[in-house]
Amino acid sequence: MSAPTGWKQFQNKKETYLPYARTWEKRIGSFLTFRPETSAPADPGTGPLAGLPFGVKDNIAVEGFPLTCGSKMLAEVVSPYDATVVARIKAAGAFVVGKTNLDEFGMGSSTDNSALGKTHNPWDVTRVAGGSSGGSAASVAAGLVPFALGTDTGGSVRQPASFCGVYGFKPTYGVMSRYGLTAYASSLETPGILALDLGLVQSVFQVAQGRDIHDQTSLDPVALDAKPVKKIAVLADLADLDPGVKAVYEQTLEHLKALGYQIVPVTLPTLEYAVPAYYTIATAEASANLARFNGIRYGHRPVYAENHEHLVRQARTAGFGDEVKTRIMVGTYVLRSGFQDQFYTKAQKVRTLIRHDLQKVFDQADLLLSPTFPVPAFVHGDKTMNDFQQKLADKFTVTANLAGVPALSFPAGLVGGLPVGMQFTAPAFGEARLFEAAAAFATRVPVVACPGSSLEWSK
Amino acid sequence: MYQTVVGLEIHIHLNTKTKAFCGCKAEFGDEPNTNVCPVCLGYPGVLPVLNAEALSQAYTVARALGCELSQRTFFDRKNYFYPDMPKNYQITQFHDPVGVNGKIEFQAPDGTIKSLRIHDVHLEEDAGKMIHAGDMTLCDYNRAGYSLLEIVTEPDLTSGEDAEAFLLSFQRMVRYLGVSDGNMDEGSMKCDTNVSIRKAGEGLGTKVEIKNLNSTRFIKKAIEFETKRQATALDGQQRVVQETRLWNENRDVTESMRTKEGSLDYRYFPEPDIPPFLPDAEFWKAVEARQVELPLARRQRLVAAFGLSREQGDFVAESRFLADFFEEAAKVSGNGLAIANWLMGDVQKELNHFGLTLEASPLTAIRLAELQKLLDSGRIHIKIAKQLLDAVFEEDKDPEAVMKEKGLEAITTEEQLGPIFDAVFAKHPAVVEAIQAGDVRQKGFLVGQVMQATGGRAAPALVNALLAKRL
Repeated sequence: MSAPTGWKQFQNKKETYLPYARTWEKRIGSFLTFRPETSAPADPGTGPLAGLPFGVKDNIAVEGFPLTCGSKMLAEVVSPYDATVVARIKAAGAFVVGKTNLDEFGMGSSTDNSALGKTHNPWDVTRVAGGSSGGSAASVAAGLVPFALGTDTGGSVRQPASFCGVYGFKPTYGVMSRYGLTAYASSLETPGILALDLGLVQSVFQVAQGRDIHDQTSLDPVALDAKPVKKIAVLADLADLDPGVKAVYEQTLEHLKALGYQIVPVTLPTLEYAVPAYYTIATAEASANLARFNGIRYGHRPVYAENHEHLVRQARTAGFGDEVKTRIMVGTYVLRSGFQDQFYTKAQKVRTLIRHDLQKVFDQADLLLSPTFPVPAFVHGDKTMNDFQQKLADKFTVTANLAGVPALSFPAGLVGGLPVGMQFTAPAFGEARLFEAAAAFATRVPVVACPGSSLEWSK
Repeated sequence: MYQTVVGLEIHIHLNTKTKAFCGCKAEFGDEPNTNVCPVCLGYPGVLPVLNAEALSQAYTVARALGCELSQRTFFDRKNYFYPDMPKNYQITQFHDPVGVNGKIEFQAPDGTIKSLRIHDVHLEEDAGKMIHAGDMTLCDYNRAGYSLLEIVTEPDLTSGEDAEAFLLSFQRMVRYLGVSDGNMDEGSMKCDTNVSIRKAGEGLGTKVEIKNLNSTRFIKKAIEFETKRQATALDGQQRVVQETRLWNENRDVTESMRTKEGSLDYRYFPEPDIPPFLPDAEFWKAVEARQVELPLARRQRLVAAFGLSREQGDFVAESRFLADFFEEAAKVSGNGLAIANWLMGDVQKELNHFGLTLEASPLTAIRLAELQKLLDSGRIHIKIAKQLLDAVFEEDKDPEAVMKEKGLEAITTEEQLGPIFDAVFAKHPAVVEAIQAGDVRQKGFLVGQVMQATGGRAAPALVNALLAKRL
């Protein structure tokens, strides 16, 4: 469970690291702010993550760094404080080298919704890195940082991890503090960790987890029984998968069987409602969470306004991108008084049903396996998947957010030179099960580094 | 004849050291935007952390107002854009406030005890404030995030007078409970007033909401003005328009506030950042421990126990400190009536003279009781008592100690007074003779001489008795 060699000596490797990082960064654009020259502390200390550089998705607060959320609205905002998870990781000896690109406010599956930069997939720069934590996934895949933080509201850590061939981990809701994470959908999202090394994911999780006095929804993990994982549930009725993803999925099943796991077919009758419920709740919460961005105290504002309403209207019209505006409008719509029962309340009921459905699955099995996303990384501007279809494709990931349970996307194979991730979902506090099974899988299918990425610079 | 129907929405700032959802100081009068942090400024990524003391005070008030208390209370977001509201939603309670369906009694100005139903009591956060300067508007967020408790009454009040009496009684109540200073002029208590009128026996009329009322007197006047205004409208076959009106304190009228078309939809939904609060046994115990005998009950009990007049009762029950002070002094001295008189009369004068409050003055309940006991036991008489009271304020000493130190104890025995009489008689033989010859009017002169010679310490009854005996 240690960091890949090389990183620990970062201090002495700047001269070789910088050209490597700059070259890659030019190709993939994973960071919105990148300060590798100035960020390293003189003395990394002896903490468990001593001397490790890391990237932080630009919707998570890092003191003294911009906090743009990929939005013109916050392009000029510098955070006055550290998110709790950032503070804890820093306290363990790691340091922030930059802020990674994302879909504006975390709204998207490609990072193409960023108003401030374009991020490409390191495996194929014509393709997206996924989203919304696309910058974090790309930077890790390219070897620019050993790990990065993302946020996962409906799959935003796991889907880009799958697209970029890295691990993407979302903890049980509350186990990693949300303090400092720019809220999009408060009841769904958690910080998440992306890394190429599963041990490092665990080490980072270890120092970042636990109750935080700044977040009343945070909690200490509850220990589950330490019995080894034996049964893995799979969805009996898996449809609409890309043939390549389907092939990797089937190979994964074979490997798991070969590792001695018992495969238990299950059904999730509510799965088809997960995406509509997810978007109803997420947009409702977003409509309130993004209301604070009005250009008055900070952020984008017009040069001149007649009055308050004019000021706010101009600031938001110019500051927000189309996807953000769409979600705010949808959220406002579903919360209208007199219509809440029809939308918001119904979505909450669906959420409860999904939680029950998942509970039934975990009564029969220790983990649930599914693809992370139905397709591999798609090409920028690909019209084969419109915005609506991209949202529908979130069905495997949103379930964990709706139920508040942990999930891990792990690199499971390649299709046509592109990585494909599979996902384990565990019951609440079942993080150890995710790591255990993924580690076992990696003994048969080792993680493949992105072509051209290397740690040569550190030698 | 129309009947006035009034309901109130009262806001009080709770007495918490810090704001409702962050650690910033909750204090008036500081430089603008100094008591602020990323949380109360609504920076990206921050989260609210509920102030436990605010919640305890909220339940304390709801309990005192006889509400059904929530066993599982939670917060909601109320969405609307306003420049001084950093998040553009207010954290408030809509679906499950701390208390509902309360009922509280108050005394109307005519002395009758009336009761008012409470719709609900809920905890929320205050907004900042705007300062208009020329063609600019500046925002001060010091107040943003203060713990605010809203008490919504049912429309049970029927006059401006009653509304004022209730508000004064409510103000006393929150002060007794120690949860708010209730000062309307400083904005720590505010009240929006809903007024409608109807003919007796008819359903409720269209209501008008009046804002900008920063004293109980204005509320009374505004209700009276509105009653007349609405009656004139109805009598003239016009309708009362449902609207918000502002009180203009310079002209003593309400004025229509520019209203937006259509009503705002606040789109309430549960606040996802604050888990529901389930009070435990310890919490309930603390709320119980914070309950006090409320002003009205206390006044009634003190009046009955010590035979006070209504006026005296009102006076001593005004604040909890005064009531405690009175009750202790009354019990120790055994003379509540006299204590009440002291408090309303000479004590008040001394306080004014020294510019002190009773809380900060050297006079304690025990000292006042001691003074009264000296008086009641005849060891001093009233004039000396007043001197001693002054000395207590002047020197911060016990009355008995001052009495002894200055030799002010009354002369109450013939042995002490005899020689003084001898001297006075010897000095004024002509007067003595005149009295003995029947000019009794001159008795007063001799009494005066004796009193003067004793520095006023002679017990008047004894002086009179000895004089009669010697003549």
